[in-house]
Amino acid sequence: MPYTILYGFSIGAILYFISIGLSLTFGTMRVINFAHTLTYCIGVYMLITFTPLLKGNFIPSAALAILVVIPISYLIERFIIRRLYGESLDYTFIATFAITLMGVDTVKWIWGVNPHPFSDPIGTYLKVWDFTFPIYRVIIFIIAILLFLALELFFKKTIVGKIVVAALEDKDGVRCLGVKVDKYFAIMFILGSALAGLGGVLYAPISAIHPYMGLSVLLLAFAVVIVGGMGNLRGTFVAAFGLGMVMAITARYWSQGAETMVFIVMAIVLIFRPIDI
Amino acid sequence: MTLDKARVPATKTDPGKELRLETMITPTRGRVWVDLLVIAAAFLLLVPIISTHRVTDFMIFCIFAMSFDLMYGYMGRLSFGHLLFLGTGAYCCGLFINYVSNNPLLAMLVGIAVACLLGMLLGLIIVRTTGACFALICLAFNQIGFFLVLSPLKGITNGEDGFGIQAASFWFLNPGSRASMFFVVLFCLLLVFYLLKRLTSSPYGILIRSIKEDETRVRFLGYNTYFYKWLTFVVAGVLAGLAGTLTALNYNFVNPNVMDVHSNVGVVFACLIGGAGNLYGAILGGVAYMMISNYLAIYIHRWEMFLGISLLIIVFRFRMGIWGSIKGILEYMRKPKQVQRPVEEEGV
Repeated sequence: MPYTILYGFSIGAILYFISIGLSLTFGTMRVINFAHTLTYCIGVYMLITFTPLLKGNFIPSAALAILVVIPISYLIERFIIRRLYGESLDYTFIATFAITLMGVDTVKWIWGVNPHPFSDPIGTYLKVWDFTFPIYRVIIFIIAILLFLALELFFKKTIVGKIVVAALEDKDGVRCLGVKVDKYFAIMFILGSALAGLGGVLYAPISAIHPYMGLSVLLLAFAVVIVGGMGNLRGTFVAAFGLGMVMAITARYWSQGAETMVFIVMAIVLIFRPIDI
Repeated sequence: MTLDKARVPATKTDPGKELRLETMITPTRGRVWVDLLVIAAAFLLLVPIISTHRVTDFMIFCIFAMSFDLMYGYMGRLSFGHLLFLGTGAYCCGLFINYVSNNPLLAMLVGIAVACLLGMLLGLIIVRTTGACFALICLAFNQIGFFLVLSPLKGITNGEDGFGIQAASFWFLNPGSRASMFFVVLFCLLLVFYLLKRLTSSPYGILIRSIKEDETRVRFLGYNTYFYKWLTFVVAGVLAGLAGTLTALNYNFVNPNVMDVHSNVGVVFACLIGGAGNLYGAILGGVAYMMISNYLAIYIHRWEMFLGISLLIIVFRFRMGIWGSIKGILEYMRKPKQVQRPVEEEGV
């Protein structure tokens, strides 16, 4: 059981990294960003490209991978998302899905369709009493907690964070104060994409790497955002770890049912608390 | 003079309203038969160009696209999990033939009935949501269905490999013969077209289009929008189930690809390229999409890239779709005549 809890926490941490950007994008720009996990996927592929070049050093290649993701996400924001402000949700949905298709195809073009192996960069275990935990998963969990605290500070103390929190409440009100909201949204979008890239980079060693990896995680991230509440940052945190735990516990007893269980939880939440968008 | 004065504003202000009401209410009964003939003739003409089997496939996809269009184009609810109903129809039809009776017509009815039941049940939940939530929850249920077929029900559905169907022939319906399947599917397509044409031009059709425009106002007028949305969801589910049973009988084979979540983008693309909110648009889009995916994929290696770029172009530049632009051209051609009329009157 302690393993299950640890696995739940590490999956929850990854889900948190990915869904925070999704939640922010939705809460501020009212755009359902299907292209969100494209940066996740690209980050992972950058990681497997840089790692051999840097002789297997995980941390610098991960940092480089995230740096590469940032300009890509800027381009997506500048040329696609910005043109979708105020459009009906269907069109934003379809347009961002189109970007995902193109991105996945580009990944297939450059790196090929076959899954790539990538091993745990630390590979040691932590011994607590009779249990041995893989240290890597513990580190992921710690990073997630640190990130949550950092984001809380960021949204409470910095001016950018404050503007974004205000814009989540009332976009037009903030604009009336003479703040260029769109600029801050762009910053948030890039931050969210970079965090998704971070999630991908951290998750790569403990999962399979293939071009469609983004799509399967995206559905889970959507479930997290819906359960946690769109644009609700703490809700996203709680929902990510809750659903991660649901996945881990289901997987313990019924391994194929893990992802489906998340959707069942999401359906139940939607039945009792439908969201009007 | 007074009469003339009274007439002039009437002709100036009314046409817009009159036109809109006309296009919305009048079932245009005479024209439906012409449309049906044109569609049948078009598909029959396609047969010598493409093989019979493929045209049957195209028509099944067109039925599916029309059922999707009822929900997306007419009611304004984008579903990213409509294949769930197609898959349910296909699986129930196939399983019924394999385990209960090999009568294809009975199997079709069973498939449609199960899709209908599923639509009634899921509709109760799904219809409460709008916009992105609607799309996502449909997608979630599709994922659950796909998973159920793939893994827990593996004992009867044979998991990823799928299973073959040995259906007997019944009356005119003979799944072994391509010609028979072609005419059955053509009949179903025309039937669905006729039904949807009648439905969408009835008061009910106006109501669901009003829900698309502004649901709160419709509710304000005293209509139970929840019921109408549910009804539309069920109808769309039933028609998709019909398409599913036809798919199963046409291929004599069912595998989980029939409800693969990622294939849903195909029908969205078809509806958009044809022009959402119009039955001709759905048919044109369905044929266009099948043509592209069947033939262009052979020549263009980066098929998904092409699909993505064309979706972007549609969203940003070409929202009216093929049917919309045809209509635009027709209206442009008609306009000069309308301008000429008053000139003639002046001359008289």
